[in-house]
Amino acid sequence: MALIQVRNLVKKFDGRDVLKGVSIDLYKGQAKVLMGTSGCGKSTLLRCLNLLVQPTSGQVIFKGEDITLPGVDVRKVRGEIGFVFQHFALYRHLTVEENVTLGLRKIKKIKSREASEKASYELNRVGMFEHRNKYPAQLSGGQKQRAAIVRALAMDPDVLFLDEPTSALDPQMSREVVTVINRLFLDNITMFCVTHDAFLAKYISDSIVFMDDGVIVAEDIAERLFYESADPRIKQFFMSVADHR
Amino acid sequence: MDPFINDLIVYWPQLLAGLERTLILMVIVSLTGLAGGVCVFYLTLVKSSILHKWTEAYISFFIGTPLLVHLFLMYYGLPQLGIRLSALTVAVIGFTLNVSAYNARYLATAYNGLDKEELEAARAQGFKHSETFRLIILPQVMRLSVPSLTNQVIQNLKDTSVAFLIQYHDLFAQIQEIASSNFHFFKAYMTAALVYLALVSIVVLAARRFERFISLPGFETH
Repeated sequence: MALIQVRNLVKKFDGRDVLKGVSIDLYKGQAKVLMGTSGCGKSTLLRCLNLLVQPTSGQVIFKGEDITLPGVDVRKVRGEIGFVFQHFALYRHLTVEENVTLGLRKIKKIKSREASEKASYELNRVGMFEHRNKYPAQLSGGQKQRAAIVRALAMDPDVLFLDEPTSALDPQMSREVVTVINRLFLDNITMFCVTHDAFLAKYISDSIVFMDDGVIVAEDIAERLFYESADPRIKQFFMSVADHR
Repeated sequence: MDPFINDLIVYWPQLLAGLERTLILMVIVSLTGLAGGVCVFYLTLVKSSILHKWTEAYISFFIGTPLLVHLFLMYYGLPQLGIRLSALTVAVIGFTLNVSAYNARYLATAYNGLDKEELEAARAQGFKHSETFRLIILPQVMRLSVPSLTNQVIQNLKDTSVAFLIQYHDLFAQIQEIASSNFHFFKAYMTAALVYLALVSIVVLAARRFERFISLPGFETH
């Protein structure tokens, strides 16, 4: 059974349909990338999956439980889903290590010392250990995003959501982050990533979902979707992405 | 010796007692006003629209009306309803209600400058609203508001002089008493001004040190 099953998900904002009946599955160990033009509903879909945005209708079945139903412990669900934001969203009054340990101590109820050890281990894995005592304002964009990824991963989530993780970065910093996410992909971390970055999509995905105007148009492996798709929307999107790069 | 200086020496114990009462009132209302400001600020963030409206009405009322009116209302008005409070009690309550409204507004202004994606990140991690407030919002808005909050402490110190109008025997009340007895009004009020200036200077120095103490990279306030 899929880790996440989305069935006929609809989201309306002020009467406007942003998601028009989206259905999608994400299996454990799978890395899926969601692409599409700006405003097509990608980030909204991602936020509906951990209920940061409440869907208008439809089902989100996480580990066999429909989390859109009343009475579900939403905070528990969110604690099992890691989320990485476009603009890093590090708590800027806390050091890198404190950013990582805060959730471990307050949500996972892990003792400070153990949390600190876990943070050190995870930061070391992405080359951020030496920056552990720095504040976000003292880091480069790439370092901030790597810290944000560690913050999400340290909670041992069942799945990692990434919302445009490289789009606020210059090419050099973007490569740093792609390398880290690629390592997660090779470690079979379950991921669902929204991006415009074809380079990132190619190196971190088992399959790519293409969305347009609130509906899923296609799902395939990167090579076939990039080079063989006959759909004019997909062709046009990848041409514009290539031009942009 | 100048008769006024002589009077200052004679009245020295009363002046010291007045100074003590001024400082006590300033310290109490600065602390209660800060605590009240944090509580009112918290209420401005709750989702309930009714509570939100009441909180906004509270802030608007206390910012929009003079402190002296609140003090007179409680000290001279409440006894007509059978409620008698001491001058210190009225001063503490009146100042706290007033200062809390100002402090809440300073904190709310700082909140508007926060990166809201951080709050979304806290929700995504599974933090409760109260935890997000305590662990993410408050430490940041307090740091960003330090200049405004310390200015409010200075304002509190100066405003304590209003309390003599409700029979609170603070420093200004003592000076007023000396002036009424020897009619050296200019010298008396100039002395009061110099003492308040000296006290404010001490608060300013302490505030600057505190600002430096709690400053973090990305939170420089000047």
